[in-house]
Parts: sequence; C-alpha cells; structure tokens
Amino acid sequence: MADPADESAALRIEGLSKSYRVGHLRPRRKPALHDLSLSVPRGEVFGYLGPNGSGKTTTLKVLMGLAFADAGAAWLLGRPLRDPRCRERVGYLPENPYLYDYLTPAEYLDYVGRLFGMAKAARVSRARELLERVGLAPVARTPMRRFSKGMLQRMGLAQALMNSPELVFLDEPMSGLDPIGRRMVREIILDLRGKGSTVVFSTHILSDAETLCDRVALLRAGRLVAVGRLDEILQIDVSHMEVLVSRLDPERAAKLPGDPRRRRAMGERWVLQVSESELGALVGAVEEAGGRILSVQPVRQSLEDFFFQEMASTEGASWVAD
Amino acid sequence: MGSGLNRVLAVASNTFRETVRERVLYNLVFFAIIMTLSGLLLGQLSIRQDEKIIKDVGLAAMDLFGTLIAIFVGVGLVSKEIDKRSLFPLLAKPVSRDEFLLGKFAGLAFTLLVNVAVMAAGLYLTLLATHQSADPALLKAVYGILLGLALTVALALLFSVFTSAALASVCTVSVVVAGRFSDVVQNMREVAPGAPQWLIQGLYYAVPNFRNFDLKDRVVYGDPVTRGDLVWITAYAAVYMAAVLGVAMAAFRSRELT
Repeated sequence: MADPADESAALRIEGLSKSYRVGHLRPRRKPALHDLSLSVPRGEVFGYLGPNGSGKTTTLKVLMGLAFADAGAAWLLGRPLRDPRCRERVGYLPENPYLYDYLTPAEYLDYVGRLFGMAKAARVSRARELLERVGLAPVARTPMRRFSKGMLQRMGLAQALMNSPELVFLDEPMSGLDPIGRRMVREIILDLRGKGSTVVFSTHILSDAETLCDRVALLRAGRLVAVGRLDEILQIDVSHMEVLVSRLDPERAAKLPGDPRRRRAMGERWVLQVSESELGALVGAVEEAGGRILSVQPVRQSLEDFFFQEMASTEGASWVAD
Repeated sequence: MGSGLNRVLAVASNTFRETVRERVLYNLVFFAIIMTLSGLLLGQLSIRQDEKIIKDVGLAAMDLFGTLIAIFVGVGLVSKEIDKRSLFPLLAKPVSRDEFLLGKFAGLAFTLLVNVAVMAAGLYLTLLATHQSADPALLKAVYGILLGLALTVALALLFSVFTSAALASVCTVSVVVAGRFSDVVQNMREVAPGAPQWLIQGLYYAVPNFRNFDLKDRVVYGDPVTRGDLVWITAYAAVYMAAVLGVAMAAFRSRELT
C-alpha cells in the first residue's frame, strides 16, 4: 500500500474496484472498475482515455466522493479520499455540468468561493479573473438559464478553478465547445501545467490527448489496458511511407509496384502507402509512368491507431454505463 | 479554509436565494395576503365576531401556505439536485454531505420564517386597520406554526433523500396529515376494531403530533398559553427534528450519486 503521507504523487490509486447494482427483480452486481491502480506525479497532464462505458466517469466519481468503491484506496495530493480536506486543493469539472440556472456566473462563483472559505475580496477578484479567462465576463450578471451548452461548459471549467487547485479533474472538458472554446481549454490546461498544477482529463478527442498529455491511461471495460508516456505506448518507428502523387491515370496507377489495396484516389491525386524499403522502386515507377510526386511522408502510429487497435479486441465485452 | 458552520451558512443562504427566486413562493405569499384580506371582508359581515374571524383566517392561511411551501419546496431540495446532478460539482468541494443537508434545511426554514413574518405583519396591519387590538398573544400561535413548519421541512428533506420529489411529496403529506389528526390515529380501534394495539401505538408515537403546535384556537379564544407550554412544544419539535435530520443525514451519507 502507498504511504498516505507521500505527497510526491498528485493522484495515487491502489486496487480500486467498483460495481453497480442492476436489475430490480433479480438484482446483481455489474462491474464498472476492476482492480485499477495508477499514479500521476505532480505537474503532469494526464489523459484518461477509453470508449463510452469503460469506467472513466466512474473513476472520477469515486475520486470525488460521489460514488463509493467496493475495494481499494486512493489518495489525492497525499490525503486519503475519506479525509474531507483532500478536496481543498482539488478542482472538478463533471461531464455536462448542470449549474444552478437561477444564479449568474458571478453569484455561482461567489457561492463556490464561500464553500472553500475564501474571503469576500478574494472571491470577487478570483471570479472576475476566471470569467475573463473563460470568456464569460460580458455575461457575468446574466442568469445561467439563458446560457448555451458551450457557455455552461466554460462556466463549469471556471468553477473547477475557483480555488486555484493543485490537482484538477476534467471530465470531457471539450464537450459542447466550438473550436474557439476548445483552444481556450487547451490553453488553460497548458497554463495550469505551467503553474505546476496536475491535470487529469478524460476525453474522446484523441488528438487533444496526443497534443496535451505527458502520459495517458487507456481504460477498457473497467480495466487498465495501458498507461505511460505516449512514446512508450505508441510505436515510435515509422510504420510506413505515404506518397502523394498527381497526373496519374487509374490504368497506370494499377501497374505500380506494391499492394493495390494501399492506394486510394483523392480526385486527381493518389495517396500511395508503401514500406520504407519499397519507396525507391515506387518513386521510380511513378516518374516512369509520367506521374508527379507531390510529397513523401513517414507515418508513425497515432494514438487513434493505438486506441482502435486496442478496442478491436473488446468484441463481446460487457460494459456498464459510465 | 472555512469552518463547517460557514459552509452550512453558504448553502443555507444560497437555498434561501433559490426559494425567493421561485415564482411559486411569490404566488403563495400573494394568496396568503388574499386570504387575510378575505378575512377582513368576512369580518365586516359578522357581528362582534370580526376580530376572531380575522385572526382565525389569518393564522389558518399562514399555517396552510407555510405547510404547502415546506412540503412542495422541501421535497425538491435534495431530489431535484440529484436528478439534475447540480450537486456533483458542489460535493466535490470540501463540503460534507451533512453540511450540505443542514444548509438546505436551514435555508428553507429561514425562507419560511421570513414568509410567516411577512404574513404575521400583514395580519397585525389588518387588525390595526379595522381598529382591533393588536393582540401580542397571536405571536405565540405564530411560533407554534413556525415549529410545525420547521418539522415539516425536516420530514420533506428526509423523504427527498430517499426518493423522487413526487413520491416524497406523497410521503410527507401523509405523515403531516396523520400528525395533524393524531387523535384519529389513537382512536383508530373505534373504526377498525381488528387493528392491533401495538400497530396503533407504534404509529401514534412514530408520527409527530402536529396538534401540539396548534395554538391558534387557544390564542384566538383567549385561553392562556404559558411559557411552560412553549418550552414543551419547542423541546418536542427539537427532539423530532434532530431524529428526522439524523436519519436523513445517515441516509444521504450512504447514498451513491450516479
């Protein structure tokens, strides 16, 4: 078991299991998390990935004290979950947050600040700063019942940061946001890391995870499939080359060396995939056929490739809802 | 970081703000005023009974509308928050579930205090406007009403933790009605001779006797209400409220929010 006094890890989970009771006439337990163990060092941006129903939201709910684990333990900033003080320096954005719609953003943040025991002046100044940061300053005095989904998501993010947290959990933070909002969230996450905070976020948008995360964990049917740095998880070697070609008619393209299934037409252009060893022969054959090479790119395995590869083996697995 | 009391007060003041912004609340206050005014009209039609009728109608309106607010706002205090998941971001803050529940209770109780105070002021104004005496003993009846309302809020909160707002309303109304007709419960064997005595006694003691808080008739007809009577109903309400809120907190602590 981990030492509760060990504050070197922002988040430590040991053997966490969680099941839900389902069915009324014949109630039974449906597993949602199974023997989950992981550790997130301070100052890291950690991506928590997995398909719907893999247990991401359940994990966050257990960590936030909303649901209770069947077994295992967890520590936030070195404090066990049962210690209410463990949440003093923690921020949490739930998935699709519902905030009191009869309040204005300024009122809601003031309320949140009071729960953290912040003084009036600090509450006002922090609320102003955050509303400016998430782009809601112009509607600071507008009741939230008039807000769009994206505005509520921005507001949810602001309330999660009210106490200047050292550890932030964001459940699908990009949900409902337009491209400007997504960029804003990315910038906020990077800002938090720059200030030494730890960010744990779940997302379906793998490109965001790939851009932002120091490390990721991949969850499938409540079990941890992989955890580590992206360069540890993904194949960093070039898997194949992608050649973009123009001025090539289908008849000539059919005669090129290599697997015909790895060629696709894009209008008047062709995308040809070959192994590194076949590249020289292919380039020669294209030029001989009168084609023009527009670009040659080495292709590495992306997080998305890895995700789908791992998920492909889950056929028949029974998942419970997040 | 803030103390537990500060967090309870933060939840309470937000609950008060929420109830004040509920239009239903304004409507109920509006209707209570209408009731008081109708008492005034009725008083003009009677001979020498106008003062009693105004007091009767005013206190009854206060009790009725207060009870409606206590039940129908109270049952939504927790169940609505669970359904809408609005408490998820809040319970992730350093506020315990006990503090949250107590804050909700205190917030609605304070709303009712303000509400009853406004109605009591309306009743006194009506009496003064009709050249009647502003009998201070009326405040004893108002105090009894307030205790009953606070206990009703605690009951609504308890059921609100267990079940949906609709079912919690039915349960709370049932207990409040049974409590207001506790003499009927005690004498149930007269209408249902087969009912076991232990069941009747169990029901009688389990359901709070709301008749204890009803000082309206005694005050209106000039019967004395002693300090001892007030201490007794205060202790009775406190014990029941502590028990009901204790069960509600224990249930809420173990409730999973999914």
